[in-house]
Amino acid sequence: MNAIVKRSDRFTEADIDSEIVIMRLDSGEFFSLSGTGAEIWRLIDGTRDRAALRLALSDQFLGDESAIPADIEEFLSHLKEMGLLAD
Amino acid sequence: MLMLKIPAQATMERETEVTFGLAPKTLLGEPVPEMSWQMRGDEFLLRGEGHHYFHYRRGHGITVERGPDADASEESLWLNGSVYAAIASINGLLPIHASAVAHEDQVFAFTGPAEAGKSTLVAALADYGLAMFCDDTLVLDLSDPKRIICLPGHKRLKLRADALALTSAIAEEQVSATVGKFYALPAAGEVNLPLPIAELIFLELGPEPSILPIAGGERLVRLQDDHYTANFFASARRFDHLDQFTHLVRLARQIPMARFRRPLDPSCFNEGVALAAQYVITGGQR
Repeated sequence: MNAIVKRSDRFTEADIDSEIVIMRLDSGEFFSLSGTGAEIWRLIDGTRDRAALRLALSDQFLGDESAIPADIEEFLSHLKEMGLLAD
Repeated sequence: MLMLKIPAQATMERETEVTFGLAPKTLLGEPVPEMSWQMRGDEFLLRGEGHHYFHYRRGHGITVERGPDADASEESLWLNGSVYAAIASINGLLPIHASAVAHEDQVFAFTGPAEAGKSTLVAALADYGLAMFCDDTLVLDLSDPKRIICLPGHKRLKLRADALALTSAIAEEQVSATVGKFYALPAAGEVNLPLPIAELIFLELGPEPSILPIAGGERLVRLQDDHYTANFFASARRFDHLDQFTHLVRLARQIPMARFRRPLDPSCFNEGVALAAQYVITGGQR
């Protein structure tokens, strides 16, 4: 199991309404997550690996469950590109 | 009637007292160019056209040096504009680029870039009994973490001739020889009490008048105003990225926001004003 870990030294975050706004500390650039993206971000708690993420998300996911793995991978790779996840 | 001032009001009254004399020509080593400003610690230096300097130091008020080539008719515009906003910022108050009305002891502020119609809208809302709270600059007192208080406006309403024709505001003298606007009295009067902010409404262009809430992270984005007032506050507070984010998150959480879309076509003006008036009078998003 490879737990997915956030690089919490690189960002700060805040909840505004139902969205999560994340700011990169180095650049000051910020962006918001809503819906499934926000839910995945909340589920990345440093203990879950991809399988555990899928399981936790399938309990809440209202769309096509078969799309979940692809959605998670795409989202995680995006977060990694932004330097927000540990290798 | 005796009205008690909140500390922020007393601070601004004290700190904006003007004396005439010699002002420094730089705060940063290099002479300040015409139409530019410098800020260092609790000092602010602005140079208008020619040798026209405005120097502020916390606890010492404003010193104006008016050289022979200075345009004295512009002086009150500088004092009430950039200088006032910088002093507010140095004293921990947030100036934002907005005009506002008051309703049921709350402030509804309209913001947008220059020429977005902020002043005209506020003047026109007087026809619905809504008193003006401020024109062009709204100063926010953030000292109470639980709520944001607006300081009553310090500027007179200024309108172009075409805006005067659209509203019931009473025209007074021209602002200055170089500014094609007129001072005006709002028909429903002004409110001169500090009041909590109800909502910040962004003026936008659109085909039909509509007012819709702004939610989530977009509120933070909207608060990244590039108006000079925002630069003063960031400079005065010496914010790093984290400070700026924390500041914007607080504002985004505590100030409900909306977008007011309407065409700028004068034939649709009254329809848009009626919608805005109804929105304010019914309490906005409350």
